[in-house]
Formats: sequence, structure tokens, C-alpha cells
Amino acid sequence: MANVNVHSEAAQDNNIAPSKQPLSLPKTVDSQSVLRRLQSELMALMMSGDSGISAFPEEDNIFCWKGTITGSKDTVFEGTEYKLSLSFPNDYPFKAPKVKFESTCFHPNVDVHGNICLDILQDKWSSAYDVRTILLSIQSLLGEPNISSPLNPQAAQLWSNQEEYRKMVEKLHKLPSA
Amino acid sequence: MDQSTTSSFCNLGILDSLSNDSICEILRSYNGFCAATQTLLAAVDDLSARRDFVAHVHSLCKHGLDSLVRDHFLRVLEETFERNGASRFWRHFEPYSNVTGLNKNDDLEIDEDEILSVLHSALEEIYLEKGYQEKCLLMLVHAFQSYKKQVSRDTRDLDAERNHLTTKYQWIVSSVLTATLPRNFRVILHWYFKRTLEELSTRMDEELQDHESQSKDGMDLDEKGKICNKVGEMDVDECYNDSRYSENNKLVNSIGKVVLHLRSLGFTSMAEDAYASAIFLLLKAKVYDLAGDDFRSSVLQSIQSWIQAVPLKFLHALLVYLGDSVSYESSSSGLKSPLASQPSSFCPGIDSPSEGLVRWKLRLEYFAYETLQDLRISKLFEIIVDYPESSPAIEDLKLCLEYTGQHSKLVDSFISSLRYRLLTAGASTNDILHQYVSTIKALRTIDPAGVFLEAVGEPIRDYLRGRRDTIKCIVTMLTDGTGGNSSASGNPGDSLLEELNRDEEIQEDVGIDDDFNTDDRQAWINAARWQPDPVEADPLKGSRNQRKVDILGMIVGIIGSKDQLVHEYRTMLAEKLLNKSDYDIDSEIRTLELLKIHFGESSLQKCEIMLNDLLGSKRTNTNIKATISQPSQTSGENAISMDTISATIISSNFWPPIQDEPVNLPESVDQLLTEYATRFHETKTPRKLQWKKSLGTVKLELQFDDRIMQFTVAPVHASIIMQFQDQKSWTSKNLAAAIGIPVDALSRRIHFWISKGIISESAGVDTSDHVYTIMESMAETSKNGAGSSGIQELLGGDEEEERSVSSVENQLLKEMTVYEKFIMGMLTNFGSMALDRIHNTLKMFCIADPPYDKSLQQLQSFLSGLVSEEKLELRDGMYFLKK
Repeated sequence: MANVNVHSEAAQDNNIAPSKQPLSLPKTVDSQSVLRRLQSELMALMMSGDSGISAFPEEDNIFCWKGTITGSKDTVFEGTEYKLSLSFPNDYPFKAPKVKFESTCFHPNVDVHGNICLDILQDKWSSAYDVRTILLSIQSLLGEPNISSPLNPQAAQLWSNQEEYRKMVEKLHKLPSA
Repeated sequence: MDQSTTSSFCNLGILDSLSNDSICEILRSYNGFCAATQTLLAAVDDLSARRDFVAHVHSLCKHGLDSLVRDHFLRVLEETFERNGASRFWRHFEPYSNVTGLNKNDDLEIDEDEILSVLHSALEEIYLEKGYQEKCLLMLVHAFQSYKKQVSRDTRDLDAERNHLTTKYQWIVSSVLTATLPRNFRVILHWYFKRTLEELSTRMDEELQDHESQSKDGMDLDEKGKICNKVGEMDVDECYNDSRYSENNKLVNSIGKVVLHLRSLGFTSMAEDAYASAIFLLLKAKVYDLAGDDFRSSVLQSIQSWIQAVPLKFLHALLVYLGDSVSYESSSSGLKSPLASQPSSFCPGIDSPSEGLVRWKLRLEYFAYETLQDLRISKLFEIIVDYPESSPAIEDLKLCLEYTGQHSKLVDSFISSLRYRLLTAGASTNDILHQYVSTIKALRTIDPAGVFLEAVGEPIRDYLRGRRDTIKCIVTMLTDGTGGNSSASGNPGDSLLEELNRDEEIQEDVGIDDDFNTDDRQAWINAARWQPDPVEADPLKGSRNQRKVDILGMIVGIIGSKDQLVHEYRTMLAEKLLNKSDYDIDSEIRTLELLKIHFGESSLQKCEIMLNDLLGSKRTNTNIKATISQPSQTSGENAISMDTISATIISSNFWPPIQDEPVNLPESVDQLLTEYATRFHETKTPRKLQWKKSLGTVKLELQFDDRIMQFTVAPVHASIIMQFQDQKSWTSKNLAAAIGIPVDALSRRIHFWISKGIISESAGVDTSDHVYTIMESMAETSKNGAGSSGIQELLGGDEEEERSVSSVENQLLKEMTVYEKFIMGMLTNFGSMALDRIHNTLKMFCIADPPYDKSLQQLQSFLSGLVSEEKLELRDGMYFLKK
């Protein structure tokens, strides 16, 4: 079910979020080093044991990952769980990966299509970041939105009323049907 | 009157033509006939009655009433037989009406001889009665005959008439008897045959023994018990003429007579059943008697010769007596007994056995084979336990199965006994493996194609896969030629190492074979020898050529992959090599070479490097010691000569992970080691030595006031005891600090010395602190009651679990925790996954060191472990995270 969503959304949002990486491995010279980097990031992520963040490559393509973030404690997002998709460019880590919410997330900096407005994913990207830091940043973004430049004005407005906001989050949040 | 009077009932017109006179005559004749019949059958045999009878019959026949005559006569006959014959006959057996079962004959309160004679006399009597009645019947036939002669001189259907009447009479007799048959008669018959056959068989057995032991001169019956040493050639014909033989004949004849009588009474099938079952019972008892619980000798041959000697001889005699064999004599060639190759001289006097006899022989042999087979199958477990000794029993079983074809019975029964007796928690893995190997070897004899072996081996393999120490045991068995296990049941180690050797030979043979196999004739011979697979063969598993029974292959099959086996072997080899102090690795090299033949060079490369390390160490050690032969010794009373140490230098990349725990060695030793390392660096620049100080062994001599003790211990133990050289008493905290190991480790290690009675333990000031004191004299030791027995003992008892190389299980556990994190990671993101997908994903992305190399089965068992730890859930073949 999740997969169907991904496809339909990807089709809609072609202009906003350029299509995902082709499934076949790019034949660039240093594709091996990209592979190795992603593998070691995966290993590090797996062994880090951070709670509330997780990601794993899709079945046969290490350039496409699925991520999971749970809302931090003492925020309105506590107890929620969001799915993300991460798609790495061929010249990763010199370019940032494309990260999107796959499940609906009612958040000032996330639009209805799941696109995220986060500086380190755009102009502030550095090759020192990795999957783990991206996920941690997004997790903390949930609790500390940037109200000044909202992608979702409704959410930005409601943010001041945390009680109402919590209700909204609960209403929109669907536990994964798995 | 014409011929059609037999159907006169319909011809009513005849009645009108009858005159009064004739009616009177008919009535008179009929009455007379009835009276005469009565008299006749009442066994009053006088001439007038006969004459009257004939006359009356004639006169009735004249009036066309012969059918009436016939019917009446038969009816009276039946009544008489019922009264005189049958009821009297059964009355004989009335006293035994309580005899209902055949089992436990000994408990019957009847006189055996009495019942014998009763049966005989009853049969005799009824036979006489029947004979007499038959005579009367014949008289009737003669009356008809003479009438017909008078009337028409036509004798055509006389024989037909007689046959018709006799058959009818037979019917009457058997139906009357069957209708009145008491229940116990069958039992009595059964019992009778059993009894007489047993007697006969004992006699024939004796005869058989005599036959073997009698020399030509030993004809005297009084001396028959004597066994003459010299078994001369024996004239069979003469010998069998002795009185015992005729006695046997008499017995057979009397049985034959009984059978004959029974047949004439219409009990043919009952009699046959009775003696057949008696023979089978006897045969079964004989098989059990011969086979018993002795698996060390083949019994098939003796069973066969017994069948020839006793039951067949009896049957032959019986058939001859009954006159059956004559008619079939020529038709025997079509049927061939599987024992046709056996000379039939076992039954003297039978040149070409009759068909009936051959049939009996086949039946008996099949029965014997089946009985023996069942007996052996039920004991197969025990047979395989003492396999090499019990191979005759296996051979027997093989022959039986070839004949009966009941292999599936073997498989089922053996599997269930395996489950019940072997695959239990109480059986040690070594024993199971030993039994497995024996099973393979034994079943290889029975079934070279390995089809049944596959079926039987499956449960064992499955079970062994569930045991943690399986691999270890297998590797021990493979490598330990001297049999490292102390289990009393045989020596499985030998067998597997042997197997390795054997395998090597086979492979050499194959090499030679290939050269010769180009010969077309050889190929033709091979092709001609082809046999189809047994029906039970699984077509998926390939033909028998690929399914060669290979013990090593099957053993490795338990583990799943040879890599694991090699891995375990490497760990064990490392352990063994590290504990060596003399660089003597000849046997290890040999084992490794054998393993290389089987598993390929490349997989054992690391092991080879390990062995090379040891060889290299030996050289290096000698070199280094040579450089310091000139005394350059540092002063000090504790200085130890370099000669006393020998280092094992290993290339740690190729060795399994080594468990190293820091330990502070005594200063003098430490100094020595550093010096050694420096020398090494000098000779082998740029390489440097890194000591693993906790490994190795130390030979110690402890000198006390009153005694000297020698030990070979681990360095930690040596360090501990060295600390007591200068200070008699330590608290555990201080001692642990001095040696540089944790307190709990210390208290575990020091236990070794306490158990030797060299150190005593007492509670310290602090409750958590202990005070250790050295015992200077024997008196002190014995006062404290700690018994010290061994002068020299290799390593402490608890050393078993403290191995220098981390065990395969621990390594596996460590690897598996990495996998666990990966599995958790992927399940968090994908929700649910099937086993296959987890396996593939791990293969693709888990490229840590060491990479994921587990089999699907291993992963499955690991996952089910996680499920039982409630970390995962398994629903419909999909794994979920437990929320």
C-alpha cells in the first residue's frame, strides 16, 4: 500500500521533487566509493542504536532507503511514527540526498506532498552529514519547527496552540497498517 | 413306464392308469423297503434283509418310483449318520469343551495322550461308520443296477448313478458334521497337529544332529548320544533305515491317517489350516530360538537347512502318504525356489520335488524370512549399536529384505526406535554421532543406493542440527585419531579419521580407474550391471550414481556447510596449537592434509598458515636462542635463562580471534619476554612481537619446607603463586591489583591453588575481602583438610570453559547481534518481511566483517530465537517487530 502511494505522489510532484534515482547503479568512476560510503553509513546507523530513528535500503537498491522517525518525548509528536524515503544521488555525499515524508505529517515545514524544508537538506548540506544526522535533524525539527518560513501555513498558525495541534496530529497520524 | 419317470410328478396322467393292484403293490413294497432300509442301516447285516431290500427296490423301480427310493434312502442315511455318526463323534470331544484357546497349552487340565487317543479312536469310529454306510449305499446302487440289467440291459449310466449318490452322500456327511461342529474341535485339531509336529521336529532334530555326528560304525542306537570326533562319510540310505526313521514314518503315517480321515469327513481345509498353522508356529519358534539376541553370527543358513530338514521332510512324507505328490510330479519345473541352487539332497529320496512341496517350500521360506526380518528390524537399533560385530545379522537382514521387499517397514520401525531411544536429551552428542556413523555403515550394506539411509538419516540430522555442540563433536571425531572422548561406547573418533583415510584411498582409486575406464569393455560391463533404483527412491535426488553414500558428506550435511566445519576446525586447531609447548605438529599436519583432500585447499588455507606459524616459531625460537647463547644476562637472583621460554609466534590475521586478558607477569618473566621481543625485532625487522601474556603454559616447581611440587599451569596461575614468594598472605583486592585482573577472576583462578592445598582462604576484615595465605608445610595442609593428591596435573578443572580462543558459539553470538540490529532496522522500516527477504537483504547489505554467510536454516533458528525473546513476531510466515 505504501508503495502505491509513493508512486502516485512521485508522479504528481515531478516538478517539485525531481524523480528518484534510476534503479540501476550509475556507472560513474567512483560508484564503488559511494557504495562503500552508504554501506558503512548503514553499518554505523545499525550499530548506533539511536532510539526513534531508523533507515534501511530498499530491497535491491542501496541508493533508495526507507526511514522511520518517531516523535520525541514531550513534544506534540510524541508517540507518532512517520515513514520517510531517502534517495541518494550518484555523487553522494557531495550532494544532499532527497528526503521526503511518505506518511502525512502535519508540520509547518512539511508540505502536503511530504517535502521537507530543512536547511541541511538544501543549501547547508555538507558531506560531513550522514543518514544518521539527517534523521536526527528531522526528528528534532518535528519538535522545533521554523515558523518563519512555513510550507504549511495552517500548521504554522496552529503551532501556538499546542493542545489543538496535538489533536490535529493525532487525527492525521495513522499508525502504519502493518 | 419309460425313461421319463424321473419327472413323473408332472405327468399326472400316469396316476389314472394305475390299477388298484398296482397301488397295493406299491404300498407294500414301499413299506417293505422302508423297513429293510431301517434294518440295514441299523447295522444288522443279515442276508434276508438284503434280499428283501433288493426285491423291494426292484418292485418300486418297476413302478417308476426310483427317485422316491433314492430320496428316502438318502434321508434315512442322513438321519442315521446324524444319530450314530456325528453325535457320537462329537460326544468324544465333549470333555474338552472348555478348551477354547490354543495358547498356554500347558495349563490345560487334559491328558495330552488321552486327547490324542480320543481323536484317533473317534476318527477311526466315524470312519468305520461312514464306511459301513457307504457299503449300504453301494447296495442300493447294486439294486438299481441289477434292476436295470433285468429291464433294458443298459449299463451306461451306472457309474454316473454311483458317482451321483456318493457325492450326495459326501455332501450329507460334511454338512451334518459342519452343522453340528462344536467350537472346540478346531482348537483340538490345532493342538493335535502342534503337539505331534513338535514331537516330530524334536526327533528330526536329534536325527539331524546324529546325522552330523554319526560315523559309519556308530549305528548302534544305544550309542547315538555319543559324538564321535571323526565325522565319516555316511551312507544316507542305510542310515535312515534304522528303527528311529521308521518310527518317524509311523508318526507321519498316523498324522497322514488323521488328515486322510478328516478329508473324508469334509474337513479338508480345516485340517490343512491346522497343520499349516502348526508348522508356522513351529517355524517361528525355531527362528526365534536360532536368531535370538545374538547378532554375531548369521542364522539364515541354519534356518534354511532346518526348513529343509524338518518341515519339508514332514510335508513330503505327508504328501506322499496322501498321494498328492504323484500327480504333480512333472509340473514342478515351472516354479523355482529362490533356494534352487541348494541341492535338494537335504530331503533324501526326493529327486524332483512335487509342485505342492515346492509351494510349501516357498511359503515356509517366505515366512521364515519375514519372521527373521521382523525380529531383526525390531532389534535394529541394538544391532547397529554393536555394528562392526553385528554385521552377520545385517547381512541376514539384507537377504531377508531382498526377498520380502519390506524396506519401508525397516525405515518406519527404525525411525521410531531412533526417536524413542537415541534422539533424546539424555543421549550425548558423541553417542548420537557414533550411532549415526554406524547407521550409515550398516545401512550401506543393506542398501548401497542410500535411499533408505536418506530416510533414516533425516531425523538424526534434524536433531543434531538442534544441538549446539554438534559441530565441535564432529570436528573432534574427525581430527582426534586417538579418540579424545572418554565415553565408553566405542571410539567414534577412530572411525571418522579412518573414514578420512579411506576416502583418500578411494579417491586415489578413482584416479586410477579413470585411466582404465576408457576401455569399452569395462564400460559395457558397468552398463550391464546397471540396476534401477528402488521404488522408494526420490527422483528429485538424482540417480544412484550421484547418490553415493559418503559418510563424510553426510556428516558435513548435518552442519549445513563445510565452511562452518572448517571454521570450527580452525578454532579447535588454534586451541590445540596454543597449548602445545613442543612444536610437535606431525599429527595435525597429517589431519590437515586429509581434510584438504576432502574439502579443498583453499578453504583450509588459514589452517595451513597456522601450522606454518608453528613451524616458523620453532625456527625463530632456535635462532633467537642462538643469538644469546653467550651470557649477556642481566644480574639479579631472579633472572631466568632465556632457554626456559619458547614462544609460539602467530600471524594473528589468520588465527581465530584470541581472547586476551591483561595479566601482570612477575617482573623477571616480563623482562625476559621484553628481551625476547627485542631480539625478535632485531632478527626479523620490521616485525615486532606482541605478547599475549595470558596464553601459554608454565611449568612450575614449588619448593616448600617439606616438599617439592610440580605443576603445569596457565600464566595467570603462575603469576598468582609467584606473588606468594615474597609475601605469605594477600587480601584478594591487593592480590588482584598486583596481578592486574579483576577480583572475581582472581577468586576463580586462585581456586585452583586452594584445591591443591597450597593456598588457604579465610574471611578478611571486610566481608567482601578474602585473605589468602600460603601453606608452607604439609602438616598445615592436612590440618586444613584440603586434600592434595596430584603431583602434577594439567591445568585447573575450571579451565575447560576458559579457552584461549573464543569459542565458535561466542563468535557466532557476536556476529548474530550485528545481524539482529540489521534485522531490527529493516523490520522497522519495512513493517513485515518473509524469511527469504530478510535473508537476501542481509546478504546484500550486511557486509560487515565477517560478512553475512549464514544459511537460511541458521537464520531461521536465529529468528525463532528472537521470537522467543519476544523481540519479533511470526505471523503467516512474515516476521514483525513486537510492539
